[in-house]
Amino acid sequence: MNWLAGLIRSLMLLIVLLCASNHSYAQQRFPKPEFKTEYTQPVPEHPAPRSPALEFLDLAILVLVMSLTAWVAIRRRSRYGILILTIFSLFYFGFYKQGCICSVGSIQNVALALADPTYRLPLVALLVFLLPLIFSLFFGRVFCAAACPLGAIQDLIIFKPINLPVWLRKSLSILPWTYLGLAVLFATTGTDFIICRYDPFIGIYRLNGKFIMILLGIAFLLMGLFVARPYCRFICPYGALLSLTSRFSKWHLSIYPTSCVQCKLCTTACPFEAIDFPDSEQTKPEPRTQTRRFLTFAALIPVLIAVGMFIGSLSHVFLSRANSTVYLAELLIAHPELRSDPLNLDIQTFLASGQTLETLTEDAATIREKFRIGAMILGGFLGLVIGLTALNQLIFRRKEDYQANRADCYSCARCLDYCPVDKTIAHG
Amino acid sequence: MDEKTRIKLVSQLMAVAGLFTLIVALLLLLNYLHVRYHDPLESVALTQLVEQFKSNPESETLIRDIRNLDLLARKAYFTSQWQIKTGAFLLLAGAIAFAVLLRIYHSLKARIGEPLISGGNLLLNRIVTQRWILSIGAILFIGAVIGSLVTVDYLDKYQKGELTGEVVAEAVTEETQSDVEVIDLIEQEEEIDSRNEVDPPTIDTIEHTNIETVAPIVEVADIPDQPTQPTEPLVGTAVSALPALNHVYFRGHLGQGISKAKNLPETWDGPSGRNIKWKAKIPKPGYNSPVIWGTKLFLAGADAQGRWVFCFDRLTGDLLWQAEANNIPGTPATAPKTTNDTGLSAPTLTVDNQRVYAIFGTGDLIALTHNGDRVWAKNLGVPDNHYGHSSSLIYFNQTLIVQYDTNKSGRLLGLNMANGETIWETVRKSKISWSSPILAEIDGKMQVITTSAPSVAGFDAQTGQELWSVDVLSGEVGPSAAFSNGIVYAANEYASLVAIRPGPNPEILWQQYDVLPETASPAVAQGLIFIATTYGVLGCFDAKTGDQYWEEEFGQGFYGSPMIADGKVYVMDRGGTMHIYKLDKTPVKLGSPVLGEKSVVTPAFTDGTIYLRGEQFLYCIAAN
Amino acid sequence: MDRKKFITNVGRYSILGALLFITGQIFFKRRVSASGQYVWQIDPMKCTQCGRCATECIKTPSAVKCVHAYDLCGYCDLCGGYFKPNTMDLNTGAENQLCPTGAIQRKFVEEPFFEYAIDEKLCNGCGKCVKGCTSFGNGSLHLQIRHDLCDNCNQCAIARVCPSDAIKRVPIENPYLIKGAFTS
Repeated sequence: MNWLAGLIRSLMLLIVLLCASNHSYAQQRFPKPEFKTEYTQPVPEHPAPRSPALEFLDLAILVLVMSLTAWVAIRRRSRYGILILTIFSLFYFGFYKQGCICSVGSIQNVALALADPTYRLPLVALLVFLLPLIFSLFFGRVFCAAACPLGAIQDLIIFKPINLPVWLRKSLSILPWTYLGLAVLFATTGTDFIICRYDPFIGIYRLNGKFIMILLGIAFLLMGLFVARPYCRFICPYGALLSLTSRFSKWHLSIYPTSCVQCKLCTTACPFEAIDFPDSEQTKPEPRTQTRRFLTFAALIPVLIAVGMFIGSLSHVFLSRANSTVYLAELLIAHPELRSDPLNLDIQTFLASGQTLETLTEDAATIREKFRIGAMILGGFLGLVIGLTALNQLIFRRKEDYQANRADCYSCARCLDYCPVDKTIAHG
Repeated sequence: MDEKTRIKLVSQLMAVAGLFTLIVALLLLLNYLHVRYHDPLESVALTQLVEQFKSNPESETLIRDIRNLDLLARKAYFTSQWQIKTGAFLLLAGAIAFAVLLRIYHSLKARIGEPLISGGNLLLNRIVTQRWILSIGAILFIGAVIGSLVTVDYLDKYQKGELTGEVVAEAVTEETQSDVEVIDLIEQEEEIDSRNEVDPPTIDTIEHTNIETVAPIVEVADIPDQPTQPTEPLVGTAVSALPALNHVYFRGHLGQGISKAKNLPETWDGPSGRNIKWKAKIPKPGYNSPVIWGTKLFLAGADAQGRWVFCFDRLTGDLLWQAEANNIPGTPATAPKTTNDTGLSAPTLTVDNQRVYAIFGTGDLIALTHNGDRVWAKNLGVPDNHYGHSSSLIYFNQTLIVQYDTNKSGRLLGLNMANGETIWETVRKSKISWSSPILAEIDGKMQVITTSAPSVAGFDAQTGQELWSVDVLSGEVGPSAAFSNGIVYAANEYASLVAIRPGPNPEILWQQYDVLPETASPAVAQGLIFIATTYGVLGCFDAKTGDQYWEEEFGQGFYGSPMIADGKVYVMDRGGTMHIYKLDKTPVKLGSPVLGEKSVVTPAFTDGTIYLRGEQFLYCIAAN
Repeated sequence: MDRKKFITNVGRYSILGALLFITGQIFFKRRVSASGQYVWQIDPMKCTQCGRCATECIKTPSAVKCVHAYDLCGYCDLCGGYFKPNTMDLNTGAENQLCPTGAIQRKFVEEPFFEYAIDEKLCNGCGKCVKGCTSFGNGSLHLQIRHDLCDNCNQCAIARVCPSDAIKRVPIENPYLIKGAFTS
């Protein structure tokens, strides 16, 4: 029988070796006892995660909230309705659902799905990414108005908004695009989800979180008392996408129900300075100088892209350090003495895993190559964004009335309350 | 209520809500900072008490203090958790109340503001805006350029070979190595063997002083073309000089589990003192075996207070000297945690004609003269080892060889025996192990053979270069390898007993899965392998095929390794009974003398004499 | 006016087209899982018990808790997960217990066996017991993310800093990697 026992043992060993990865010691040193007394082994319970069906329910509620917002903002023209919906979102998507998954963060999931063949994108994440964009193509930024929990908390806190000068607003509008580009770069290289990691409000909704992020959230809220929606306007990468899609919205909120009486009251209502003035208020440039400037700037854009690509390719070295593999590899190369530092968990775990520095550096080099290409594209993209934003300053559209700027307007409907044009006309 | 009083009321409520929120926020902040800097679960006072308790395990007051403090710490931890949770809710409630009141206040006070004055010269404004956009863009780009200028591309440098990622090695002592001639060990051995046969020295015939003078003479005579420095080149070369008088390695000759000693006693009795020549108390505990040079016997002991090397006169049992391994740079302030059955002094020492070398569970490695004066000492880095470091030392040709497999890395080190400098270091793909290296001559070259998970491997004893490796072991490897007739034998519990033909393409000859040791190493001679298991089985196998000849079971398990000497197998069980069998295919028991004390240590032999270390005493056993 | 409308329409439908293209790409490359939701879980075979689970989770206390795979347990009297190393007296005194929060309950079953149960309310996921059990015992104690506590962040904060990459997304249908259940 010895050979049989030997066979069984070797088979067991084989199974153990196959199942166990590098650092497992899967052998059972002490076999389970055979109890003589009546002993029943406890069966520990493993609480189930939130049901996937509920995720689809959330999705349905998101669609419902966005549809209602569109209806309230465009048809009902009621600030009150938007306020109610905002408060609902604050509690449902914010305090109840505690954030994840949100449209802002879903950018990264979609980017990762496009880049990483092993990642499977949950359908919910894809829809959460797509739906607000599609809605904005037809109804403007209704997602920002009432559905987004990050917007909701900032919108409700607006107290005494100050007017920011145009140059500041426009030049800071580059930041969301930069953030978007970085987020996509880090997501596609499998490095990090920076939008989620640096979300300032999620900690408030969870009543829990990293101390520094809670502080940041409070700082944003305090700033939000005076600068309306600071995160939405100057940071939010999804807001950048929506400001693009919303430009082409089919039915957008309109300040006046029938015609503008040019009372300028709406401009005092909007905390976001998202209302464009009619031409009558402004000095128009000479068409000829305008065309010349326009052409100069248009020619500048390719130069900016090229410069951006060059600088991007330069920057990939330090950008790639955000990746833990690259960071560890460089740390080991630059500071080999850290190998004997018992407190450096990453290095100690790496050393214990039995991997060689050779394979680690190969992995790191592969990731860095991705970064090189990605950072080049990012640089070029930023060059394009800077160029287009600057060029956009030279486009003068003919306007006769006060109008909501489709890119910047959040459809919060504050202006509608101020418009003196009889509302009954619209309903009539 | 008119508007004014309403505004007043709201503003007062607002102030209350604001103050409340602020106070809660401050309390939370205090709580957070307190827990952050004085984590009750990481209480220093508690750790100190537990440390004290370890060295003073009987103290009732310490137990009481620890329990009280532990309860307090846990209470503090959970209370602070509760406070943070409740505080967060209160803070949120306060903030919401404040925000709502703020809105009401604002709407009560609200006046429609002045409309925006549109910005004068539109074109001019836009040009300003444009400039700012470009400036912000430029700031981004310049920031990126500066960032990339200050970063060093280590990865690139590494791949181009400009950086190695290795700690810059201490100067390799090529010169000292070339000074020494490689001595043909086998020849030397044979010469001495023949000499021994002519005049077998025993304890009784050789006088105390005689040995000290004889030993060096024999060696010098054996090495004809000795270059300069008459004493120095002998260091590390005398692997088998006077094999029957000296016992320089753990597990005897080349560390292989065999000894050339003859006329060994088969009967003794510890309690009655029969055939016990002398018995001496060992000042500190340890599980290392004695090593012997001339008339001197060395062993080591350690506890949390200190680590010591002891030298006994092997003829009389007098403690000649003791030396503490202290004041070594790199020694940890508190000794690493070890289990009771390993301790801080499990590795066996090694000795050459000049010095004795000891390693401890703290990673301290020390070299002393035969008179106990320190020659050098260093710390190899505190081993991350959950039982305790236990791999014994060997040496070959001026190089002290240390197998240093920890939870962090698997390393084989070669140190200059004269000064402790690292000559070579081989990092191996190995998990932590507790086995000791052995020496074996394979294809005319001396190799160091190691066992660990997952591999049995052979290294060039001169350079440390890996020559061959077979991934065949698993688990926590304690048993060392054995060697006979060109075949390497290795075994571990939960793995197998395996015979390997070493070489560039090592070949597994056979494997056996039934009787497997946990700590005791195999011993092989005359085509027979002996395996002693922790659960008390002594098995004998055919070295050619792995077929089992016999097995005997005992009540006590085996920790110490079997030794083959004088045509017999000696193996000590944990209760202190030596089981002596004839080297034979059938179990012929020659005796089972008792020591009268627990022992887990492998015995040491010289001609006519066995040295045994019990838990407390060192025994010299010789037939009267 | 018509020209403007035309441009807006073209813009809108080209953006829609772009979104459709992205979606198509994801579907075409089979990178979408229709029902598939994912949750985070620790692979106990990779876990090295570094202790970061206790400190890096966005929740305080952490959503990671120690669970006990009784099937693998040896019911040892001297339990490496319960007792501090070198414990002399095998009793439940605080001076002997390894767990800093006292979350492990030791219960006598029969000579010489003891049952060890985790009180998850007290556990903070530090993994000290897991290290002890893995080093000296069968490794039946191991860390798992508890899904009643986990917020299922889009990017798990612990996964980001896990030195052994032990935290991964697993399908919601099998949200636990209980030792024993998937190894044998």
